[in-house]
Amino acid sequence: MVHKKIIRINPLNRVEGDLEISIEIRDGKVIDARASGVAFRGFERLLLRRDPMDALVFTCRVCGICSICHSTASSLALRSAFDARMPANAYYIRNIALASEVIMSHLMHFYALFMVDFTNKKYSSSKNYPGLVSRFAALEGSSYIAAMKARKDFLAFLGLFVGKWPNTLALQPGGVTKPVNASEIVRARAVLAGLSGFLEKELLDDNIESFLENDSVADLNTWLGAADHQQSDLGLFMEMAQESGLERLGKGPGRFLCCASYESPDGSTMYKSGYFDGIVNPFQQEKITEDVSHAWFVGDDHKHPFCGTTEPNAEKEGAYTWVKSPRYEGAVVEVGPYARLMINHDPLANDVARVSGVNAYTRSLMRIYEMLLLVRRIEEWIVRIDPEEPVYLPHRDAKDAQGKGFVEAARGMLGHWITIEKGKIRSYQIITPTSWNMSPRDAAGSPGAVEQALIGTTVEDEKNPVEVGHVVRSFDPCLFCSVHTLRATCLNHGRSTG
Amino acid sequence: MRMKNLLWLQSGCCGGSTISFLNVDQPDFFTGLRLAGINIVLHPSISLESGREVIDVLEKCRKGEIKIDILAVEGAIHLGPNKTGKYFIFNDRPFKDWITDLARVSDYVVAVGTCASFGGIPAAGSNPMDVTGLQFLRETKGGLLGEGFASAASMPVVNVAGCPAHPDWTYETLMFLASAALRIEDLDRFNRPKFFYSKLAHHACPRNEYYEFKASAVAYSQQGCLFENLGCKATQCESDCNERLWLGRTGSCTRGGFPCISCTSPKFPDGFTPYFSTEKIGDIPTTLPLDVPKAWYVGISGLSKLACPERLRVNAVSFKEIDVDQV
Repeated sequence: MVHKKIIRINPLNRVEGDLEISIEIRDGKVIDARASGVAFRGFERLLLRRDPMDALVFTCRVCGICSICHSTASSLALRSAFDARMPANAYYIRNIALASEVIMSHLMHFYALFMVDFTNKKYSSSKNYPGLVSRFAALEGSSYIAAMKARKDFLAFLGLFVGKWPNTLALQPGGVTKPVNASEIVRARAVLAGLSGFLEKELLDDNIESFLENDSVADLNTWLGAADHQQSDLGLFMEMAQESGLERLGKGPGRFLCCASYESPDGSTMYKSGYFDGIVNPFQQEKITEDVSHAWFVGDDHKHPFCGTTEPNAEKEGAYTWVKSPRYEGAVVEVGPYARLMINHDPLANDVARVSGVNAYTRSLMRIYEMLLLVRRIEEWIVRIDPEEPVYLPHRDAKDAQGKGFVEAARGMLGHWITIEKGKIRSYQIITPTSWNMSPRDAAGSPGAVEQALIGTTVEDEKNPVEVGHVVRSFDPCLFCSVHTLRATCLNHGRSTG
Repeated sequence: MRMKNLLWLQSGCCGGSTISFLNVDQPDFFTGLRLAGINIVLHPSISLESGREVIDVLEKCRKGEIKIDILAVEGAIHLGPNKTGKYFIFNDRPFKDWITDLARVSDYVVAVGTCASFGGIPAAGSNPMDVTGLQFLRETKGGLLGEGFASAASMPVVNVAGCPAHPDWTYETLMFLASAALRIEDLDRFNRPKFFYSKLAHHACPRNEYYEFKASAVAYSQQGCLFENLGCKATQCESDCNERLWLGRTGSCTRGGFPCISCTSPKFPDGFTPYFSTEKIGDIPTTLPLDVPKAWYVGISGLSKLACPERLRVNAVSFKEIDVDQV
């Protein structure tokens, strides 16, 4: 007899924001999935007709976890609209600020959001279970507590560069507001060494340098088998991933997107942009559209973010979320650390992609790996700061202009688009990483990336669908960011819908 | 002594005041909870529970089977559209109704952050989503719960304002409430604990000497005072940010080189624009310090400028320290 059932998980906790997951199960397998952002926040609407610089104040407040990511994107959008210039120091300091936030986000995700699932009773028969509980139990595990403490200690580093967080205003179109002197650079390096110390002792039981020498899956397996690495937090994760079959879960749409990010004064970037659909193609932002066919907004057509969408409609038939459906060339894509490392031909990421492809395990592994890469990158940027040189250049305002800002946020590509008319914001549009990943189906009926990743998942116990948690959390969704829209107008077509 | 139960709800928020709360460092988060004797019944970013388990806990709280000593709410409350609350439906019910029910059975109710306190950013402009704070909308009493609301321990909603709230403000308020040590007379006119909001952000700003002599920065990153040209509202902002400091006591807004925008005020954000420049009539800023008479300000600032030492005049417009004796 066919056993069919719809399970609704609301709220799915330990993600950032208000998420409902609804799955249809037949004979223990997910045959359909819907991801819903259940709270409407309407940030872009709030910005209409305001001073363009207000975007710096408002958009960092879209999200308390990735406020610097939004600061970066909005200041870049304004920089392009104002045609502002930045001194060399500002590039390094902005990169450091962004990377610090991404590091803290990845650290929190691993220890406070993701690993906690392995303390679920489903794993109680594992030989590792007592260790998992003693390390990763929410609010009590020894590693959980140590990681939170390491994160707290690292905040001083951020304070030396941006003054306050969340919601700093230090990142501006013309650079940064806070110079750092030689003494502060020494202090910052000392604080960063503290974070490295935690990562080396608890996460790796190895030094970061030697871990980063792992260039292939074979290297990683050798690493895991050597010394006491299995006893490290990462080692335990890798072992549990194998034991629980994490690699079999959460295959996504298989197409990935990444934007240029972490810019240097010469214009080069640490991450280059690209669109992967089997091969890496150039990324062209004109190919982005947003679809609202299954979101609670009026309308059902595709539009570029510089063009418009319409009014909220909480009663809309067939709609189930406040998240819109961004698409690239009409296709569903995935964004995040896996996407950017793979598109940028990182040797380890490429080998992981070749051997395993994307899944709940490799997505999480690449997140941790990127955190370690960024720690090393920060060290390189710090020494390039010259305290004798400026960090900021004043800029002119613009009465009529358009600007766009892209950044690889913790969870993937983030884009801001601004149109300024008569010195005021005519439209402001944000596409967050989680909109890409957690989007609902589009007009063609294609489910979003997480929805696709959920379909096919085997759920052992319908009353305890921990596998669903693994898949969804492997994307590190942030619903705070993604539930928004605006009353906008399509300037390019000279037509107003709002 | 019995542990005190804390239930934390997020109402369509940014999570910033949770992230900020996790930043608490004196004491750290875990030591803090233990010291205060607080047990977290539920927190959406922290708890193991999901789905049905969460609803079961909330139902038990509502029915009094789990005692809520402190209800903390983060984020503005959605009333729209048309007072239906449908902009945030939580398990088939408007979230505002969950909050109202749970507030009724809690000993104390705390609004964490400016949104839950006063509406904040989502209530900006024409308030298109129709959001409100728990017991205020901007400066007007009422909000979701109404002017007359008192929690089971006969207290109004305690407003821990700030965008985000400083971790100490949240932690210390919870600590006071867990030991029933916060009295109604400890709250100011906007029901914020006076311990944190009776100072000005201006106090202990390292740029104060520049302020005294009206030695002002003309562009960001310079060392001078940010009040005269660059929009700083620290002389109007009721908070102890520059004494208490943020991020492991390393920073604040003005220490970060950017203007205070008075985010602890019920008038935030619209009451403090423009954020990055100072509006003036003639040479006189329209945003004078809270209780300084204008005529005196004009007189004193004119004299201060004349008395300004060369050291400050030069450094006010420099991004790095200049030793005037060596110039």
